[in-house]
Amino acid sequence: MSPKRFTLDPVDWSAWMPPVRAETATPIQLQALAASPSATSEYFLTLAHDVESLAERSPLFHAAMYVPRGLRRAERELATVVVSIINGCVYCSSVHARRFVELTKQPEIIRALYDEGLDTKLEPRLRAIVDFAAKLTRAPMDMTTADLTPLRGVGLSDLEIHDLINAVAMFANANRLMQTLGEPVVEGGA
Amino acid sequence: MTEPDSPPDLLAAIIGAPAGSPIDHIRRDRPDIVRHSQGSHDVLLSPQDPGGVSPAERALIAWRVADLSGHKALAAHYRAMLDHRDKTLADAATDARLATILDHVVRLTTAPGTATKAHIDALRATGLTERDIVAISQLVAFVAYQVRAAAGLALLVRDAAA
Repeated sequence: MSPKRFTLDPVDWSAWMPPVRAETATPIQLQALAASPSATSEYFLTLAHDVESLAERSPLFHAAMYVPRGLRRAERELATVVVSIINGCVYCSSVHARRFVELTKQPEIIRALYDEGLDTKLEPRLRAIVDFAAKLTRAPMDMTTADLTPLRGVGLSDLEIHDLINAVAMFANANRLMQTLGEPVVEGGA
Repeated sequence: MTEPDSPPDLLAAIIGAPAGSPIDHIRRDRPDIVRHSQGSHDVLLSPQDPGGVSPAERALIAWRVADLSGHKALAAHYRAMLDHRDKTLADAATDARLATILDHVVRLTTAPGTATKAHIDALRATGLTERDIVAISQLVAFVAYQVRAAAGLALLVRDAAA
């Protein structure tokens, strides 16, 4: 596999098929797009080809990432960056790494994960989150209740663990859509 | 069409979190996740208008993802759905169109970073529309979500019972 260029810079995304055009979209497509993170992005305009699934996925994504209480927003973002690094999704990792940095002002954590890999030195709470996210991504059926112990050890509640599981699972989903329907466009890149 | 034996909250049935259990209590605190995870399942497997991907083909695709992922309970769910819809389809992979679809399904499940535009073009060359290709991709991506949600939440269920 060729090395991926993970970045904290903004990355664009280009579809491998003509997206739905906003001017000719049906009212139902426009409604599903309005409930998506961005109604004008090429990615969501592509997903709008199958409007029934987009209309369910957008609120599922929103709840997994932004539902109040439970796991901290920044920690959900971090978990999704870990999943995106493992799955090789340059676009997803850029978007969510930048959200993590906006929330924490700690770009050095992302740079360490990019440059040194997922085994880089982290504070114990983030270490536990990164390890759980990585294993649930790579080998979901190999997980045992022992994998909960490090999370509990750094104080995560069952509600927070539930949210971590859903954020990780959501990016098994997002990475697959992003990488199969189009490709990242990195400024000045290949 | 509702399958005769498809539970209304599939994930709860798969992980063994009946109403009133500790994990059910946590899931009820995130009602949009419960609702739209089930809703995604329902519209992807049993859409109002299936377009160019038949209900039986949708069940076959979901079964392949769950089976490749090693999730026995989800694989059994989709296999029962497939057998209910078309008992012979799983043996029909010599059909060029279906073989191209299943190639895409395997790639997306096991090596999502290796997909290229040529793979999308190959799907289009079989006569699938943009909508069909998005629906297939959403279905594979949804089951990938479901496998990890089920595997993760099952840990909480087992731990609460210990």
